[in-house]
Amino acid sequence: MSDLIAGLSPDFLSSFLAGMVVNFEIAAIALVIGLAAGLLLALGRLTGGVVAAFSISVISLMRAAPTFVVMFFLLNAIPRDATLFGMPFALSGVMIVAVSLVPYSAAYVADAGVDGLRYLQAGSLHGALLFLPNVTRAFFVLVMSSSAGAAIGVTEGITVILRHAEQLPDFDDRLLLFAVGIVLFGIPLQLGLAVMTWFQRRFARPVAEQAR
Amino acid sequence: MTAASSSKRPVGLAYLIVATLIFLVGVSLPVRAQTPDRALAELLAQTRARMPDACTQPNVDRLVKILCAKRIRVGVRDYYPLFSMRLGDRREGYEVDVALAIGRMLGVEVEFSRVNAATRIPLLAEDRIDLAIATMGHNTQRDGQVRFIRPHYYRSETTVVGPRELPVANMLDLPGRTICVTVGNLSNAELVSQGARLMLFDEAGVLPDRLKDRTCTLAAQDDSFFAKYFTDPDFNARYFQKFGFAQVPWGMAVARQGSVELARALDLISQIFHRDGLFIDIGRLHNIRLGFLQEQQIVWRRAECNTASGVGNPSCVLAPLNTALRPTGFAGDVAAFERWVDDNTGVDIALPMLKTVPAWSLFKDGVANSLILIAGALAATLTFAVVLGVAMGSRSVLLRWPARSLSMVLQSSPIVLTLVIAAAVAHSLFTLSTAVVMAAAIVALGLVNGSNAGQAIGEAVWSLRSEGKAGHGLFGRALDRAATQIVAFLVNAAKGTPIASFVGAPELLSSLTDITSFSSGRATTYSILLLFYAVVVMLVVWLCGRLQRVLERRQVAT
Repeated sequence: MSDLIAGLSPDFLSSFLAGMVVNFEIAAIALVIGLAAGLLLALGRLTGGVVAAFSISVISLMRAAPTFVVMFFLLNAIPRDATLFGMPFALSGVMIVAVSLVPYSAAYVADAGVDGLRYLQAGSLHGALLFLPNVTRAFFVLVMSSSAGAAIGVTEGITVILRHAEQLPDFDDRLLLFAVGIVLFGIPLQLGLAVMTWFQRRFARPVAEQAR
Repeated sequence: MTAASSSKRPVGLAYLIVATLIFLVGVSLPVRAQTPDRALAELLAQTRARMPDACTQPNVDRLVKILCAKRIRVGVRDYYPLFSMRLGDRREGYEVDVALAIGRMLGVEVEFSRVNAATRIPLLAEDRIDLAIATMGHNTQRDGQVRFIRPHYYRSETTVVGPRELPVANMLDLPGRTICVTVGNLSNAELVSQGARLMLFDEAGVLPDRLKDRTCTLAAQDDSFFAKYFTDPDFNARYFQKFGFAQVPWGMAVARQGSVELARALDLISQIFHRDGLFIDIGRLHNIRLGFLQEQQIVWRRAECNTASGVGNPSCVLAPLNTALRPTGFAGDVAAFERWVDDNTGVDIALPMLKTVPAWSLFKDGVANSLILIAGALAATLTFAVVLGVAMGSRSVLLRWPARSLSMVLQSSPIVLTLVIAAAVAHSLFTLSTAVVMAAAIVALGLVNGSNAGQAIGEAVWSLRSEGKAGHGLFGRALDRAATQIVAFLVNAAKGTPIASFVGAPELLSSLTDITSFSSGRATTYSILLLFYAVVVMLVVWLCGRLQRVLERRQVAT
């Protein structure tokens, strides 16, 4: 462990924490866009008719879109000098990762949104509020998935770990650094999941009682 | 016979002897070859002799047009440090000074035009410039588009640059490493063939910054490009040219049509510049590497090269870099299809993966490896789900807690990190190969998704027990109950397979990135990739849906 500490540059922790902020930033952007798109799709699905069929098709497509491929598609298929309504439309690395996560977040929000709206229609506010822990769960999945940005050079948490690991000559030290990375990512994730579980139990009980 | 006639005899004999001697000397001594200087002077004199009448004639050679207009239009780059830079109205660099020296030799003014890698050849073909001196590598592919001036005025090589402390010394150190490159660089194919992963950028100008912000650990680009950066003490202290490869001679170029005499004049000028060391003097002025120019000076001072016909001597001139990729048997049909789509829809598609043998081979391997990876990830997910599900559903703490701990660790690790760890462990145990990388990726994807699905199975086992349904066939019923979760993680595993390219698995994403690094058509290529994975994942969703229905029917039956 002392070898690892000696081998790491002094700015490791600050770089890593700055990287993790990028992970959370990417997840937040993806979730906000996903919420807007997903809730529209959820409403469309409950409307019925052609709109519902269209919404279901879009949700299915979004579920099938692999994040990593979407990310490379956005990176390579959109010209650097592309414009949208006369405005420059070049996406930054962070935005490319965030947008590539939108199909997942929108499809997830749409599914959770349909359940929530059905609870609301049935008059169960508690049931509808279960939408919130579900969205929180999606947020943490997005935080973990945002590490895909390492593949296109976005400086997020995993990128920082991999860069530092590359400089370590000893294999055991590299494994130890990876373990440190898992712990540092795991702490906020497990805390978030614990809060979400508590919240879910808190609201799931009245829902179950209402159902009885 | 008269005296007169007799007196002529010795004179005639003397003529005969002299003529014989001249003939003998003529055949025994080499003819002194014409020098390039004299050939150039004669060519220019002959051309000027046709002026001014030739100036108004159509379809005259560009040399005539240049001499008539008393100016030569030269295409140079605006930003290529040391070689050609534009600073306001002023231009400077090795290529700029070479152009000015050519202007002086021809006795004309030099009018500069801005060109870049994409425009230098079209501008010559459209007669908007007479000469391009724009960092253009001479290769067999470009030989058909422009007439290159020989001898070449510079030679570059692709250099791999990285932090000084990074242990990379040659191509053998590249497998598994990511190298930042620019799209369309012909040396990319060689890096790919050595097992390196590529990160693509549009412009070389960003590479030093990406090295500095550590987005790139290694970058590969022309040594001429990095030359300026290594004059910066800070950059030089941090980075090192690890090794070089893919040497390519740089050529000035003129249009293929209507430039025969101009090309001849420039060939001779280039010869003279090399022989007299003018290229070296200009190069020294701009701090570029002089090794090639010094070699060339020795060559062009040799007797057999320092002649008017020296450029036709294969022992004097350098061959162009052979970059021609062997076309596939159906490349013509593919090109026809691309044209048909363009004509009928206005959509400009490019299918480089079908046009050349190396690209087609990479594409086929990519598709096959992707399918193997998906099948493997599904099987591994199901296997780990069952194994971990049994362990997590077990009443034995010794089985349950290790499984739960493993599951928690895997859930806490981003998939990219899990893949890297799996690949690192595999590399430490086995020799690096495609099979090892694929196996490591399959295990990692299986563990991540299988642990989640296994947790669902374990929870189903415990819920069945709490309902008092722990009798015979408990595990089968738990599988039925956890069917939705199992299916969700199977789909997730299939969707996650492209991420294996991050650790070097040669699946379709990786193959297409390699193909686009040395060819065109990125938009079409990545659209095809997206379509491929969307279709495959939808197929997996459909198959998993059927599996789910079977399990649910079983659950209803029990």
